[in-house]
Amino acid sequence: MHSYRISGLAVASQLELLGAIDAPANDDAPDITVRLQSAPRTLAGGVAGGPNWEIEGERVLLRVPRVGRFLIEGGRHIGVELEPGATARDASLFVLGVSFGILLHQRGAMVLHGAAVARDGRALAICGASGDGKSTLATALCRAGFEFVADDICAVGLGDEGRPVVWPDGRQLKLWREAIERLGMAPDQGAAVRDGIEKYFIGPPATAMTPPRLTAIYVLGEARAPRPEGIEPLNLPDAMRALDLQAYRPAIRARIGSKPRNLAQSAAVLSHARTFRFERPRGFEHMDRLVAALAAHWDALGR
Amino acid sequence: MSETPGIVWLASFPKSGNTWFRIFLANLAAGRDEPADINDLDERGGIASSRHEFEAATLLDSGLLPHADVDRLRRQVYERIAAETKAPRWIKVHDAYTLTEDGEPLLGRGAARAAIYLARDPRDVAVSLAHHNTTTIDAAIELMNRPDSALCRGRHGQPPQLRQQLLGWSGHVASWLEQTEVPVHLMRYEDMRADPARAFAAALGFAQRPASGEDIARAIRHADFAELQRQERERGFTERTSRTAPFFRAGEVGGWRRELNAEQVTALERAHAPMMARLGYELSQGAAEAAA
Repeated sequence: MHSYRISGLAVASQLELLGAIDAPANDDAPDITVRLQSAPRTLAGGVAGGPNWEIEGERVLLRVPRVGRFLIEGGRHIGVELEPGATARDASLFVLGVSFGILLHQRGAMVLHGAAVARDGRALAICGASGDGKSTLATALCRAGFEFVADDICAVGLGDEGRPVVWPDGRQLKLWREAIERLGMAPDQGAAVRDGIEKYFIGPPATAMTPPRLTAIYVLGEARAPRPEGIEPLNLPDAMRALDLQAYRPAIRARIGSKPRNLAQSAAVLSHARTFRFERPRGFEHMDRLVAALAAHWDALGR
Repeated sequence: MSETPGIVWLASFPKSGNTWFRIFLANLAAGRDEPADINDLDERGGIASSRHEFEAATLLDSGLLPHADVDRLRRQVYERIAAETKAPRWIKVHDAYTLTEDGEPLLGRGAARAAIYLARDPRDVAVSLAHHNTTTIDAAIELMNRPDSALCRGRHGQPPQLRQQLLGWSGHVASWLEQTEVPVHLMRYEDMRADPARAFAAALGFAQRPASGEDIARAIRHADFAELQRQERERGFTERTSRTAPFFRAGEVGGWRRELNAEQVTALERAHAPMMARLGYELSQGAAEAAA
């Protein structure tokens, strides 16, 4: 068995989870188990939530073409049946990513689609759609002295005195070759995530192990006329709406029914953390300037 | 009489009038006395190759999937939209009409009730494409002439859209006009410019979208190039990709005569003569002589 700590949860996995950072198991029972097993082709009594997934009570079945079927149960267990010819290595990407995101929703966690970095025990989260440059910006912030906390799946919990914290995701960053080259990260480049895809694991940067307090959330947008560049605070209703829109895979959350709970969590988060829209131009040539602007803005927020 | 529900593809090679027609549709749907804001179009059903929509539907990180597997899932995404939608959905698509590796139509079986295919003289497309992509005209011609051309194919970064096979300009037109899965109506850009009321009314009729002549005339006025250019000049346009060239440039028919050199005209006409003839685009004198 392999042992990991992912988003604060102890994981015991029959599969080696590519990109997960090993964490020694303790004597307690793991929170999550991952096993190779047989998985049904369809869930009896299930409802199709999307073209490749269905849900029945506490079980979600997810199909990934030419990789496998993933059965995610009760927020505690992920079962994987490989398609003929598929490798456990490929399947592990979809365990650690989407299956874990679904599992966190089943546990009623607040899961943002975003990256998080921290300094001095305080974290900032960067949210946005796929391809908006969350991982790239997070990497650039780490290069500028921040610790890496989470990428893609950003689980937010409530810590002491109800203050929001970000659970370190216990994973390596993944970056596209273009970003690696432009950010000068070639020395840290690890294995490709999959054959034929030029996205690579990045050797773990300085990583936060204890959950830092979440003090600010930046929602990325592209500054393109008529939208000017800048960082603008969102008022409470807009911030509530932004957090709702930035949830990880809202379609599954809606089916699981954890949206009302997430709204209550958002309200709790927003009593301690502030939310901003960060409109910026695309292109690596702006990166140093944008990192400096973001770091200065976040510093000025204070504790 | 209300509009029939279901998907209607607005299909075209890039820079062939697709956005203009969508803005016309948005103004038609809005039915107001003022032109619709080009940065806030209700009728935007989006583009079929949107990475965000794909990931929202499949829950999967498209960056971890080979293009062939993305295509397998795309078929299912559209079939599901078709099964669930109770409203008309006009969806822009730049993909050529292709089959997945399983032999199923990429755009789904039985998913769309109609397609409007917009075609434009490839010589004008080349000029417009070069401006849009901020490339040389020769690079635009290569994208049009290579039978395996595609958009967003590179796997070294993550563009906002999924890979779209174009198959070159002739291949693109042929793929749509020769497929038998979706009833398709051909609308030439030149006919849209010459007599928009007539061209648009025919397309709406084909797609069973009822509209009065008066409503069509008003939507055409609100989508007039001068109006679109005014809005872009004053406020910008979020769908613009070039940092230097405006999106709504001239919308001109025949501008290629001024902007292409003889070699470029010949390269395009050599590659596309049969399809140009089929769509009624006359070869230039020089190329016709060279061919003879």
